[in-house]
Amino acid sequence: MAVSTFKRGLRLNTRKHATEGFPVELAPLPKQVVIPINQHFGAPNKSLVNVGDKVKRGQRIAEGAAPGPMTVPVHASISGIVKKIENRLQSNNTEGPCIIIEAEEGVSDETDFMPPLDPFACTKEEALQRIRDAGITGMGGAGFPTHVKLSPPPNKPIDVIIADGAECEPYLTTDEALMTEKPDLLIKGLAIVMKLTGVGKAIIGMEDNKAKLIPMLEQELRLGGYGGDISLGLCRTLYPQGSEKLLIKALMGREVPSGGLPMDAGCIVSNVGSLVAIAEAFTLGKPLIDRDLTVSGGACKLPKNIRAPIGTILTDLPPQFMDIDYSKLRKVLFGGPMMGTAVPTLNIPIQKNTSGIILMTEEETWLDAEGPCLRCGRCIRNCSCKLSPVIMNNAIEAGDLDEAVKVGLMDCFECGACTYVCPARIKLTQRFRVGKQRLRLKVQAAQAAQTKAQTAAAPAAPASNAKS
Amino acid sequence: MSDTKAEAPLLLLSSSPHIASPVGGRVIMAWVLAAIAPAAIFGVALFGIPALLNIVVSIAAAEFAEFAFRKITKQELRNGDLSAAVTGLLLALIIPPGLPLWMTALGSIFAIVVAKEFFGGLGANVFNPALIGRAFLLMSFPAAATTWQNPSFFGAVDAVGAATPLRIIKSGGSLSVLGDSYGAIVKTLFLGTHAGSIGESSIVLILLGFAVLLLKKIIDWRAPVVMTATVFAFSFLLGRDPLAAILSGGVVFGAVFMATDYVSAPVTATGKLIFGFGAGLITVLIRQWGNYPEGVSYGILIMNAATPFLNRLIQKKYGWVQPRKPAAADAAKAGAK
Repeated sequence: MAVSTFKRGLRLNTRKHATEGFPVELAPLPKQVVIPINQHFGAPNKSLVNVGDKVKRGQRIAEGAAPGPMTVPVHASISGIVKKIENRLQSNNTEGPCIIIEAEEGVSDETDFMPPLDPFACTKEEALQRIRDAGITGMGGAGFPTHVKLSPPPNKPIDVIIADGAECEPYLTTDEALMTEKPDLLIKGLAIVMKLTGVGKAIIGMEDNKAKLIPMLEQELRLGGYGGDISLGLCRTLYPQGSEKLLIKALMGREVPSGGLPMDAGCIVSNVGSLVAIAEAFTLGKPLIDRDLTVSGGACKLPKNIRAPIGTILTDLPPQFMDIDYSKLRKVLFGGPMMGTAVPTLNIPIQKNTSGIILMTEEETWLDAEGPCLRCGRCIRNCSCKLSPVIMNNAIEAGDLDEAVKVGLMDCFECGACTYVCPARIKLTQRFRVGKQRLRLKVQAAQAAQTKAQTAAAPAAPASNAKS
Repeated sequence: MSDTKAEAPLLLLSSSPHIASPVGGRVIMAWVLAAIAPAAIFGVALFGIPALLNIVVSIAAAEFAEFAFRKITKQELRNGDLSAAVTGLLLALIIPPGLPLWMTALGSIFAIVVAKEFFGGLGANVFNPALIGRAFLLMSFPAAATTWQNPSFFGAVDAVGAATPLRIIKSGGSLSVLGDSYGAIVKTLFLGTHAGSIGESSIVLILLGFAVLLLKKIIDWRAPVVMTATVFAFSFLLGRDPLAAILSGGVVFGAVFMATDYVSAPVTATGKLIFGFGAGLITVLIRQWGNYPEGVSYGILIMNAATPFLNRLIQKKYGWVQPRKPAAADAAKAGAK
């Protein structure tokens, strides 16, 4: 099979061996779960339950506060009693309202799932509603509501659906385990999305370190019989192949226009986990309440792929299942080591977008101090988006945000490749985050000033002044 | 609440990415030193103990100058990064083997203090320090800095001045002193067994270093290849022997080790191409019409000055879209009104 790829990028030491090929182990039911009520990118949710309420696994417990498309509900992941609703630290290092459910003896096996729905018989609106009701968001990272992604405006014709199984982050092996164990559901999820969007073509994209899955997936495709053209796309193992922009470039040879979305390149990209969740939402009526993730790293004595209810806190799992070497533990990551977030405590719940928890030792991470820039150009050579990080950084340091934007600040998706290769250990990615934030503040300030000027000058001056 | 022992470890917090390439600044400098080493060892074998002493003194003076300057100006010491050693070694290799040691030391100190530390130290200098050091020596001690000697393998050094291939060409002589046939001349030039600077004569060993640096992905091929090709092409156009032009003097050495200097050369791909072209062109022009037989140093130094401009020639980013013309026209119209 031909291996497609993009230019530049990194050949990382994948560090996947610790859990590669491991089955997904079902975590023992935790005594309590902490469920953040906002786990999606969009308008905030509000709680539907009160302290003391009895909830069942699968029951909707939080829902959009105001009507709008950019919200998805959140469901109870275990049956029990609502003990508290309070602000807790979440995996993005901000505090947010969480519903804390404690398991109760005897009721733990009760569920409140939706009735199954035949995706090939229902209407498009019903299907989108089901995906929203199941609380499905992108399971790869940002938490973008899946039903929104699947209903592009009519002026953006889509001709291919891409299942993102690249999993280019080191350590993480969950997507591979998922494709190994649930290929039927993955293909069914793809077929549902194809039916729903009316797109005839789909590609399952993955890195060539997962090439061993090809015969099995091909057989599954033959058995599936969903019609439509579903194929496998093998990409070189190259970081950041799992980024939707680069997966589109590698598989389709297209580029998403600057400032655009995959739909601007005629593609919908969805993580394989989200596709399996879609299939389960129809066949089982099960909302997104469990999450597959990799727990790995040098301070993890039993690295493994696990399935745990959303809201589980790692330390609540029994030590015979999840044994942590606290003496070696120096850094906890939610997500992979290239784009994941370092968190200050283990007392943080698993969320819908938590692809892994990496327990790193001091040797695995790095602590070098920043040195002066050598202007070696490695950041430029390795930027898969063909940006010029060193020049962007110089512009930000000089306070020239316009210049930084011109050379690509807003096109940077913070994959971290430039920072990884920088011999002077300059934290470029972090500087770009700060630069983007400064730009946002600047734009906000400019808008506020304009609004103020407009309201002040409204009676006297005509609207033509507004342009300046 | 969850287990309290979870709070026990003191956890590190930082922005992603959380892993880094094992190749740091020191590793890069060490590879550069390793790549230059063959040419340096050959220079010692060719010109004997004075060459070795010049190399040692140059490196020691460079490291000491950096240490002293940063100590006096109360800056953080950076001797560990090996960058001063690279400058010292490069300077030693582009001077005559018989240069008095105190001159070498002075040139090395000038290179570090004036060309590098005055600009802010590593990463901030505009010009290549080693080339500035050489230019300083050439201006201050013109006689000593252009007195060359014949090679003698491990033998006593011939104190009598000898002519370098470029000097022969400049004065209108024939290169036949280097060999009987054209093939023999090219072979002598390629191997470097003729009068010249300590390290820049043996083309084959410089190319070995070039291969190492390319394989380790420490330098980019663009500037060296374009610079050498430019010298070849323009020498040919001016009616000189193009092969002799690139094999004699410091073209290959300068192209491999100086035009690829991280700090003073452009970081962008297009910039590197133009940098190489400009340096090659200026080299040929100086050789043809200038006062000096050799123009590589000034070719590269002059292009160093252009680096900030060349760094603006950035590549088209992923998803680059043509700015919308109608909008621009509208804006122009609005502006005209």
